[in-house]
Amino acid sequence: MKSYTYKEIDEKIVSTLSPPTKGYFGIVALLILGLLTGGACWAYQIAVGLGAAGVMHPVAWGTYLINFVFWVGIAHSGTLISAILYLFRTPWRTPLARSAEAMTVFAVVTAGLFPFIHLGRVWIVYWIMPYPNQRNLWPNFQSPLVFDVIAISTYLTVSILFWYTGLIPDFAALRDRFKGIRKKIYGLFSLGWTGSSDQWRHHGWGYLLFAALATPLVISVHSVVSWDFALGIVPGWHSTIFAPYFVAGAIHSGLAMVLTLLIPMRRLLKLEDIISMYVLENVAKTIVFTGLIMGYSYATELFMAWYSGNLVERAVFDWRATGPYGFLFWVMIVCNSIVPLFFFLKRIRTSLAAMMIISILINIGMYYERYVIILSSVAHEFDPYSWGRYFGPTCVEFGILIGSFSLFFLLFVLFAKFIPTVSITELKEDQPMPVKRQAGEGRNER
Amino acid sequence: MGITGTSIIGACSSEPPRKLVPYITHPDNSIPGEPTWFATTCRECPAGCGMLAKNRDGRVIKVEGNPLHPVNTGALCPRGQASLHGLYNPDRFRGPMMVTSDNILAPVSWNKAKAKLAEILKRCMKDKKGDKIVFLSDLTTGTLKELIEYWLEQTGSGYYLRYEPFSYEPLRRANSLVFGTDGIPSYHINNADFLISFGADFIETWLSNIEYARQYGEFRDLSKPKDQIFVYVGPRLSLTASNADLHIPVNPGEEYLIGMAMLRVILDEDLVENMDPALKNELLRITGPFALQEIVKKTGVEPEIIQKTARLFARADRPLSLAGGYSNQLPLGTETAIVSNLLCTIVPGSRDLIDFKRGAAVEEASGEAKIIDLLKKMDKGEIEILFILNANPAFTLPSSLNFAEKIRKVPHVVSLSSCPDETSGFANIILPSHTPFESWGDYSPKTGIECLMQPVMGNLFDTRETGDILINMGKQVMGESIFPWSNYYEFLKNSWKDRIAEHSSGPAFESAWKDTVRKGGIWADEKKTVSGDQKGKSPELKDIQIPSPGKTKKETDGVFHLAVFPTIQFYDGRMANRPWLQEFPDPITQVTWGGWVEIHPQTAASLGIKKGDMVRVRSSYGFADFPVLPLDTVLPRTVAVPVGQGHKSFGRFAEGLPSNPFELYPAVTGTEGAGRKILTVSLEKLNERFEIANTDGSLTQQGRELVQTISLKDLRSAVSSGYRPYIEYPTPEGYDPKKDFYPPHKHAGYRWGMIVDLDKCVGCGACVVACYAENNLSIVGRQRVLNGREMSWLRIQRYFKEEGPGVGWLPMLCQHCDNAPCESVCPVFAPQHNREGLNNQVYNRCIGTRFCSQNDPYKVRRFNWFTFDRPWPLDMQLNPDVTVRTKGVMEKCSFCVHRISEAKVQARNEGRKRVRDGEFTTACAQTCPTGAIIFGDLEDPESRVAKLMKDPRAYQALQYLNTKPAVIYLKKVTKEI
Repeated sequence: MKSYTYKEIDEKIVSTLSPPTKGYFGIVALLILGLLTGGACWAYQIAVGLGAAGVMHPVAWGTYLINFVFWVGIAHSGTLISAILYLFRTPWRTPLARSAEAMTVFAVVTAGLFPFIHLGRVWIVYWIMPYPNQRNLWPNFQSPLVFDVIAISTYLTVSILFWYTGLIPDFAALRDRFKGIRKKIYGLFSLGWTGSSDQWRHHGWGYLLFAALATPLVISVHSVVSWDFALGIVPGWHSTIFAPYFVAGAIHSGLAMVLTLLIPMRRLLKLEDIISMYVLENVAKTIVFTGLIMGYSYATELFMAWYSGNLVERAVFDWRATGPYGFLFWVMIVCNSIVPLFFFLKRIRTSLAAMMIISILINIGMYYERYVIILSSVAHEFDPYSWGRYFGPTCVEFGILIGSFSLFFLLFVLFAKFIPTVSITELKEDQPMPVKRQAGEGRNER
Repeated sequence: MGITGTSIIGACSSEPPRKLVPYITHPDNSIPGEPTWFATTCRECPAGCGMLAKNRDGRVIKVEGNPLHPVNTGALCPRGQASLHGLYNPDRFRGPMMVTSDNILAPVSWNKAKAKLAEILKRCMKDKKGDKIVFLSDLTTGTLKELIEYWLEQTGSGYYLRYEPFSYEPLRRANSLVFGTDGIPSYHINNADFLISFGADFIETWLSNIEYARQYGEFRDLSKPKDQIFVYVGPRLSLTASNADLHIPVNPGEEYLIGMAMLRVILDEDLVENMDPALKNELLRITGPFALQEIVKKTGVEPEIIQKTARLFARADRPLSLAGGYSNQLPLGTETAIVSNLLCTIVPGSRDLIDFKRGAAVEEASGEAKIIDLLKKMDKGEIEILFILNANPAFTLPSSLNFAEKIRKVPHVVSLSSCPDETSGFANIILPSHTPFESWGDYSPKTGIECLMQPVMGNLFDTRETGDILINMGKQVMGESIFPWSNYYEFLKNSWKDRIAEHSSGPAFESAWKDTVRKGGIWADEKKTVSGDQKGKSPELKDIQIPSPGKTKKETDGVFHLAVFPTIQFYDGRMANRPWLQEFPDPITQVTWGGWVEIHPQTAASLGIKKGDMVRVRSSYGFADFPVLPLDTVLPRTVAVPVGQGHKSFGRFAEGLPSNPFELYPAVTGTEGAGRKILTVSLEKLNERFEIANTDGSLTQQGRELVQTISLKDLRSAVSSGYRPYIEYPTPEGYDPKKDFYPPHKHAGYRWGMIVDLDKCVGCGACVVACYAENNLSIVGRQRVLNGREMSWLRIQRYFKEEGPGVGWLPMLCQHCDNAPCESVCPVFAPQHNREGLNNQVYNRCIGTRFCSQNDPYKVRRFNWFTFDRPWPLDMQLNPDVTVRTKGVMEKCSFCVHRISEAKVQARNEGRKRVRDGEFTTACAQTCPTGAIIFGDLEDPESRVAKLMKDPRAYQALQYLNTKPAVIYLKKVTKEI
């Protein structure tokens, strides 16, 4: 990495917060429009009933839960990059961490909406919360959905705190650079940060603590999400591999999403030399690893279905691979476990275009994975009379999907304009100690 | 009549506030919330089953069979269960209407309509055209028939036709030829020990389907020493055929050949000892032209099968042969019926099973010749006034008869029907009658059984009783002296004076009358009258001549035999406007909302047509378009279409669904004494599609062993060895810490459970419609069925055998598992195991995660995708004991929990601690004609269910999942032939 003076870093980062262009406003307007579309679709669905979506008997869970799992998966890579890499002191983490953490928070927020959208009677969703009530009824702690509520809300809380802890010194830096209302707002959020060594010490510990807390959450949250399926007796879901398989899948899709987001972002925000090819290449290498896990999981699933000798289990997998979901199934296999292997080639993992294409393919593949898993199992289970196929997605579901992407990107676009997308503090920490320079001496290169 | 109503005030929240409006003046004899049961008679088809109508707070909400009634003894078929949708049909005539001068049908007042009719009648009688008045009704017997005849007599006409599309003429002709009685007897299937049916679909529509389905259940009783084999010969795998131990498929019109071949085998092998030589000679003469080899070649049936069947028939003590013979349009229907009757002459015991003394009412229906005669007269302008009552010839007569053109030549058409249909579309004056539920009346389904009808609730619309209209018109036109009765009720009561006096002596008429009304009619004890000359005359076979079938012709490509069949849900099409019946899947095909043409899959593949493609079925007489349903229920050279759909004006639920097969029929069926010759059709693929809304996801059970069978031999050895099957008992004894993580449920007092005997289940689906009616299930319509959103809590799963012929029926409902997978996954305890073992669904708690349905291996839970609406007055049928569900809530079978509560309250009121076994039952079990469903307490060792749970045939669906279902199935018994 090139080294910079502290001042250069400050200027570079703060320049990303300069007053937005017309193009920026255009994008924001477009995203708000998308968000409103989603909102209107949801309102319509609440008014007429869930029949507005393509859910039916026997496939009672549809794209809403697919989107839920998809967004939770995206969230995980954020935590992975910021917390796990932090704990391992990975050198290429810094430029990515802030965006990744933001992505986590925004993805969890988006994901968290879907269980609501998916409910038949969303207006009484709070009944799922354990609180003393006139019904004298606690939630059913046997239900994986209650696990879900607890897991997701914990995850959201921890990721927000983690993200915010890292932001405090940066807010202070911004407070010091701006005047007027911005100074007041950044000042408020910097919680009176003065940069004293006590504060630095506490901040360091706090950040480490949250990183340590967030790391197991990556595993626990997606395990819990997978239990929504694995704890049922539905063939194709009821499998012990589901938790690791979902965690790996989440990281896989999350890393791909990081690439998809960073490659254009570094260009737009002119951060090419901070988010360097070295960083991207390392992400690509990690994708090779998660892709191998995915391939192994698919193979295990198929093998176990065959090896178990269970008629119903076999029939489900047979149908997945050869039935109406056959195309999606093979897209999923190819995109998630074969395409990432191209990153073994140095030429490909250093080519921005190739990386972009592969990351998008993985995103598609992972979306289809959820699609295939969630829609195909119940469609073809124990009672053949009740076999049937999801007939969606309907316009309402597409509307809500557009709304969810709009929400996510809107939050991200706003974040990019109001909050430093790269941690000023950590970037400075990565720099060699500043030394008094002799005249004519060049900047020290690493 | 005071009506307690709920009015819904529009609001934005999901559960709108409701106001209960009490009576202003409360009627003395009604207790709010307590139902009153009225005995009446089902008039949905000529079978005439006894019904009890449950009236709650002024509205009839459910009908059930009258247990005292000799025809149906408490059960009803799907049509009977759905009869309330005739009463509450939103498309009924709301009041009298008349064609105005602008040629528009407009509502008028009764006085105006009646005055107009009186004027027409007076003019007509003044012009001495009284004999040009015709009355056309459906099959009507008893007092109304007398009144109509009397009324017509007074006008000077006497021209009264009772039109039934299925008038059983071929059967009558055959009976008159073979048994010397031109009538339709009662059969005693239950007493037979071998049964063969030549296209007689007695489980769905033939003559009296509930009665014969029940008798069939008794016929199959496993405690009988004999094998009780049932063989079906017919072109299509009908519901009845699906229950047979052997189905011999033939092309339509070839059924009689199999019968002939059987006769040949019996005579050639001399299987019956001491056969009357005269009879034998006659039979030899008749069967002369029919060589077994020729028949085998023509029909393609293996000779061994015919020989085996013939031997079984001849060696039985009381074999019975039945023939369809319900319509002249049946190809060679008369020949089939004759041959079937001939079979019944061979073994003397057969004749005890055919009771001509108890003739079925349908024998009174006007024959085809009379209808054609009427049409001729209409064409010539010889008919001045045509009265129509509930008959719908415009739909059921072949279009080649041109009924529409002919009826337009009648100057005055008066419709007394209660619902608009194709025929009343031609009427200039509409004087709508009450439905049978709103009227007084009587009907005699059989000689010796006279049933009463009474109004079971106040009339819904501005309609009148048919009898009242006639008496009133009579008074206006012909004078008070000729029609002295103040109303039809008085006329009816008068005419019953003789009948009651005949059957009861002692008590005053009024009290006897009340008792009769309460009981639902009068009937003699059936067992007493079985003696006498019920057998008809001894066979006179001299005049019988059945021509030889001729040489087997080479089949030409693209020409198919046409089999037209009535279905259990629509009979002749008069029930097509009942939404319950449209939503109820046809048993064999599981198709809802619309007709289809069944084509053998091979044929369909060779023609390049797929399921849902529209084809034009064209005969020499007309054409009709149907969506294709490839299914090997027919032979490759046969196509089969159901009767009942294709209505053009019969209300919102019946219209626009393909298609009416009557369009394909010839106008005149042939010479007197012979049925129609074989009708062939061609198929032409159209460039359209009509998606078939079937509810089955798979034709077979894919090796899942949901329907299990046991051979009779194995069963007998299992019984003798005292074999006890392994059952995951839904009681504490079914728990084992090795395989159960959670401890058993403790039950308080009861553990409700159900036994479903698959050997008795005939797949008729009466239980399904009963469940719809009892539990306020929503009707979703065709598009939503296509989307998989039907709401049935109970379905009859039809599984064709994977290899070879055979059909398994599996009534699938919530299994009320003791270890229910749906309960553990709900975050808010909406499904909850109660203290009596029920898996309750608490609608109020449900937030709609649908996890329970996802985790339910039986897939019996239904989600309210919308708030389904019921157009007024269909909503008046709703059962107030059962919550009406709104959008976003999961629902499922409750084991009729409200009935359980009612029974417990009843027991408590009577000072009993417990409900007695069999004291009450669920709606599905109540209406099962064969008694295949039994409900009770599994923890009471004396209960029927607890005993049957230990039956050697007992098994549980998906037992290996350890859900411990409380619905125990008994294996279907297969028999070798």
